[in-house]
Amino acid sequence: MAKEKVIKERINWRKEMSLLPGYLIVIVWILFSVAFVSWIIAASLSTSREIFSGNVFKFETGFHIENYVNAWQAQNVSKFFANSLMYAIIGCFGILVISAPGAYVLSRFEFIGNKIMKSGLVVAMSVPAIMIIMPIFALTTKWGIGGRMVLILLYIFLNVPYTTVYLLNFFATLSTAYEEAAAIDGCPPAKTFLQIMLPLIQPAIITVTIFNFLAIWNEFFMALIFASSEDMAPVGVGLMQIVNSMKYTGNYGGLFAAVVIVFLPTFLLYIFLSEKIIAGVTGGVKG
Amino acid sequence: MKKNKGLIIGFSLPIVITLCVMYIYPVMRTLLMSFFQIESVTGDTSTWTFCGLGNYANVFASAGFKAAMWNMFKIWLVGGILTLSLALLFAVILCSGIRFKKFFRAAIYLPNVVSAVALATMWIQYVYNNDYGMLNKMLEMVGLEGVKWLSSDMKFWAMLFAFVFGAVGYYMLIFISGIERIPVDLYEAATIDGANKIAQFTKITLPLLRGIIKTNITFWSVNTTTFFLWSKMFSPIDSEASTIVPVVYLYNQIFGSKGSYTRDAGAGAAVGILLALIILVVYFVVNKIIKDDELEF
Repeated sequence: MAKEKVIKERINWRKEMSLLPGYLIVIVWILFSVAFVSWIIAASLSTSREIFSGNVFKFETGFHIENYVNAWQAQNVSKFFANSLMYAIIGCFGILVISAPGAYVLSRFEFIGNKIMKSGLVVAMSVPAIMIIMPIFALTTKWGIGGRMVLILLYIFLNVPYTTVYLLNFFATLSTAYEEAAAIDGCPPAKTFLQIMLPLIQPAIITVTIFNFLAIWNEFFMALIFASSEDMAPVGVGLMQIVNSMKYTGNYGGLFAAVVIVFLPTFLLYIFLSEKIIAGVTGGVKG
Repeated sequence: MKKNKGLIIGFSLPIVITLCVMYIYPVMRTLLMSFFQIESVTGDTSTWTFCGLGNYANVFASAGFKAAMWNMFKIWLVGGILTLSLALLFAVILCSGIRFKKFFRAAIYLPNVVSAVALATMWIQYVYNNDYGMLNKMLEMVGLEGVKWLSSDMKFWAMLFAFVFGAVGYYMLIFISGIERIPVDLYEAATIDGANKIAQFTKITLPLLRGIIKTNITFWSVNTTTFFLWSKMFSPIDSEASTIVPVVYLYNQIFGSKGSYTRDAGAGAAVGILLALIILVVYFVVNKIIKDDELEF
């Protein structure tokens, strides 16, 4: 605050003054968030007793890094973390394998069913997961397919409509001259797609993959249904189980350490990619 | 065209399969299930007995579902007003030529990126805690007595506020993208004509944001209909009447809940269909009420 005022006085003081209420509102909101997150981080480095006596910022007994070790090993966070990472990576890859070629042919070629498929994808985007999981649950239980597999397949298939529509709009902006030139040089269409068209939409692929990664990492409802056992649970479900067992363990430092571990990956991703993510959020919205 | 036939079929087949296997088949089957009496979701179709609209009648008669719908309505209305007005306020502030706009924008959007389970845990275990929680410490500082935020009569509002805090950023981004599309000369002309900031907001910003407001209301409604995680986090083991929402009710019907092992997959399916219908109605009504007259500017 103080630092800002110095800058303000140098630059158009009057204009900044008229904006002061705006600054105040936004800064209060953000200060709250900062206080919130820093307390959690401090608590994750404190003992349960320090947390209860409200002295988390004093670190009288030093930094309790062992909370993290404890959360990571004894409370199985490492397992949950590995599960989430696996679901997210395989999921993101699987989505692209289906969506990228699909988006390419849908945007480039006229064929029977093209229009229906496009509108089908748009409709599918707004179908809530609750309409889908019951039959899938029944079917996969009947076939005896494991939770992990089903969950990954669901993550792939349920993100295909959004991803395909997103990439479709991107392919539509590319000139057909690339393919014409490649065809004249005798390049088969599948190779043209892989070696020429795919690299051209790389920025779109990166953006949409960030979104898919965040969506899978933070997904909760389906994970709870299909993978709530300890070996299969991703971070969200795992964290909920840790919270629920708190009554018996009473290890608050470990709980907050687990919260920080779950919070961190997407937070770090966001610090580096916030501009891209924010541009992506509003990119798909039509006013 | 002809030589691309293989490519077209090969590339579009996975999409067709996705749509059929993951959308058409499950939606149809859920619809069918809602008309049958089914105890276990995994039960064979031979155990299903047709009951017409019986499931719907049962669901509407159940106290749990009524409580869930009422909570959902409160979330939609109160939460919606709070979220969308805060989002609009922040969007207007950030577009008013404020410094550090990008930082503020990123910071307010942040809760949308992190795991909501982690976020909910932070609220429950820290902000609302009785002994060392942030809110009670703040009340203590001004000499007031602490409040039991997670007691059953406060829990709903505690949950709603925590949810709103996280949601604001997303709607703010959409509002910002709308405001940024309004040409600056409109505001310049208004300033020359002597219109103050408030008049500019009500006479220029709001009317031109009509399409964006429509989008946001639609998104908010869909979001409320599928509300699940926060309710589950605030009452993790047994679903209390104060925080239950339709999706939690549906979940309990299908997978059972603590203390109640009666399962009714047919009723669960009926709830799913009802929620999907609500979403359809919202799309329809919002499109009817707020006319998008495709303003050119």
